[in-house]
Amino acid sequence: MTEKKKDNLTKVMDYLKHEDPFSKGVAFCPGCGLELLLRFIPQVMGNDIVITGTPSCSAPVLLGQNNQSWHKLSYFGTLMTGAAANATGLARYYRKAGIKNTVVCFNGDGTAADIGFGNLSGAAERNEPFIYICYDNEGYMNTGIQKSGTTPFGATTTTTPFGSASKGKNLRRMNLALKMAMHKIPYAATATLSDLDDLAQKLLKAKEAKKRGFAFLHVFAPCTTGWGFAPENTIEVCRRAVKTNYFPLWEAVNGKIRMTKTVKKPKPVSTYTELIKKFAHLTEEDLQILQDDVDYEYCMLGGLSQLEGECRLPASLED
Amino acid sequence: MITKAQKKSQIKVITGNAAAAIAAKLARPDVVAAYPITPQTEVIEQISQFHANGEMDCELITVEGENSAMNAVTAASLAGGRVFTATSSWGLVFMYDAILATAGARAPVVMVNVNRETPGIIAVSSGQQDMISTRDAGWIFLIAEDCQEVMDLVLQAYRLAEDYDIQVPVMVHYDGFYLSYLSEGVDVPFQEDVDKFLSVLKTQPERTKLVPGGRLGCGSHGILGGYLELRHKHVSAMERAKAKFQQIDKEYEGIFGRSYGGLVEEYRMDDADVVLVGSGSMCGTIKSVIDEKREKGVKAGLLKMRMYRPFPSEAMIKALKGKKAIGVVDRSLCFGFKGGPIYTELKAFETKLGGSKMISFIDGIANTDITKINVATMIDTTCDLAAGKNVREVTWVSYPEAQEEGGL
Repeated sequence: MTEKKKDNLTKVMDYLKHEDPFSKGVAFCPGCGLELLLRFIPQVMGNDIVITGTPSCSAPVLLGQNNQSWHKLSYFGTLMTGAAANATGLARYYRKAGIKNTVVCFNGDGTAADIGFGNLSGAAERNEPFIYICYDNEGYMNTGIQKSGTTPFGATTTTTPFGSASKGKNLRRMNLALKMAMHKIPYAATATLSDLDDLAQKLLKAKEAKKRGFAFLHVFAPCTTGWGFAPENTIEVCRRAVKTNYFPLWEAVNGKIRMTKTVKKPKPVSTYTELIKKFAHLTEEDLQILQDDVDYEYCMLGGLSQLEGECRLPASLED
Repeated sequence: MITKAQKKSQIKVITGNAAAAIAAKLARPDVVAAYPITPQTEVIEQISQFHANGEMDCELITVEGENSAMNAVTAASLAGGRVFTATSSWGLVFMYDAILATAGARAPVVMVNVNRETPGIIAVSSGQQDMISTRDAGWIFLIAEDCQEVMDLVLQAYRLAEDYDIQVPVMVHYDGFYLSYLSEGVDVPFQEDVDKFLSVLKTQPERTKLVPGGRLGCGSHGILGGYLELRHKHVSAMERAKAKFQQIDKEYEGIFGRSYGGLVEEYRMDDADVVLVGSGSMCGTIKSVIDEKREKGVKAGLLKMRMYRPFPSEAMIKALKGKKAIGVVDRSLCFGFKGGPIYTELKAFETKLGGSKMISFIDGIANTDITKINVATMIDTTCDLAAGKNVREVTWVSYPEAQEEGGL
């Protein structure tokens, strides 16, 4: 057992070929999944990236709001409304000037799924040559835990509180990653922090796909403070999200969808929600609504993954 | 391409929009963002055609909205590129958050804004309300009178925006419909002359650029002291822009043979008793009416604002000091004030004008023509003011009912 664990660790560490550019102490909440993700990306992809971000949980560390915690990356703090458009401007100028570059547009779900979705979609339609990473903590966590488009059914937030007339969020979540795959971009994928080798491979594939245009990564990043779970449970929450098919891991290369991890016997979604306070008020009936939503999304994904063919651009149009 | 060696000048009959597009092409931008909106659309159509023909070697980003247009060119500018985009009216307003960020980041973006009204969706008509609604964004604003000046101002805008001592985005405004679609003779500069004019920028220190692996951050303004420092530097750069623009205008004359006087253009001002202050396409009409009035012995003059932000107060005070009466013509409104915006701002300097009296004219909004008759009325009213007669402080020239209501 001990041996096996060591093997796994070595496998992930193999991908960490570059320096961790962040200082050791940073201004994230204890147990924050975002910190692991943010440290992971440049260690896998290299420190010679330009990373853009918005006002968000990442801003205190990434964008210089807090000068106690710092990093060595080139960064650009943008408005939430225009995140992808700013990354577009950078990537296009570097292309014009012949400057080798990897632009990573790193945003939360509030930017990606809500206020900045228009220009994310526009950048994908134009197949802009950069990598967009959405870290999804299912709401506006930095602003103080408000509902977003990826907040799931039943979750309480400060704008979807539980009450006699409300189950929390009374609507279903959108599936941002599938929406992005429908843009027929060179690469779209989901990933999470319980499967770091899968995440590392997808980061490298995104970097490779960027040569052909737009790459999108949707990373499930649970929020201990906003969701109400113990800080030591962050990875376990990710793991159960995968094992219940609440957050399936897949990729779409040139529009061809493939599961990167198949769960043979998916657990009921309640084994995921039981760890998290934001679902604590849900009845069995409510949980069934969430389960149905998870099943529907998985069914749709399953169907799409059966499709033949891909939508690769003619080589003459590639960058 | 016709070169200077073959021909001394090349006059083309083109619209204001075409002048803007050709000027942008001559400036050789690295990145252009394009999104259509009436009456600007022809600008980005022409640029798209130049690009498709291989005449314009730029990255052309056909964005999905104006907000993205401004964000994209701002980022490209901060990365080190020369950029261009164009908008109008709702488009300018849709990029409002972005233009604040552009100015805050001191990105030397050049954009043309084709002035159009903004009160509702049907306001597809000329007016400077879009310009007024964004005047405090921290951009330099220049205003063109005719198609030739559109061409010249866009080129001058690059020298101003990208100057190492300035580094502030510049917006070139011209009246929608009146100039956007008006075809007139424009002396199109030769590429070699434009290259020469802009080459001065290459001799300056390199501005800070965001490059991969460069360990540099952009877009965060800091808080407290850091914020104050950057804001004060921005305000100082705006002040420096006045003298710099004057100098650029002179250099422009040296190469292209055209000068407009810099921040303001003075028309028959030397011995004028009464003055109209105006901006944009109305100035051509005002000049011709002044000529007619002069023949009848009325000593009228025009002070045309070419620069609106920073407000060229020193140049205006110098030109207006001692005049008997001043009528300020605004093509927009200043809600919460009775008079027009430029009138209201000039009022702040009234005590420095040596006793000149001032009144406000509001005209030309929503495509109402500022006719020669209207201009004559304004000059007559200003003459009445000079003669000590009792005249209204604010006159809506094309809407006499405003005067009947007695509210203003």
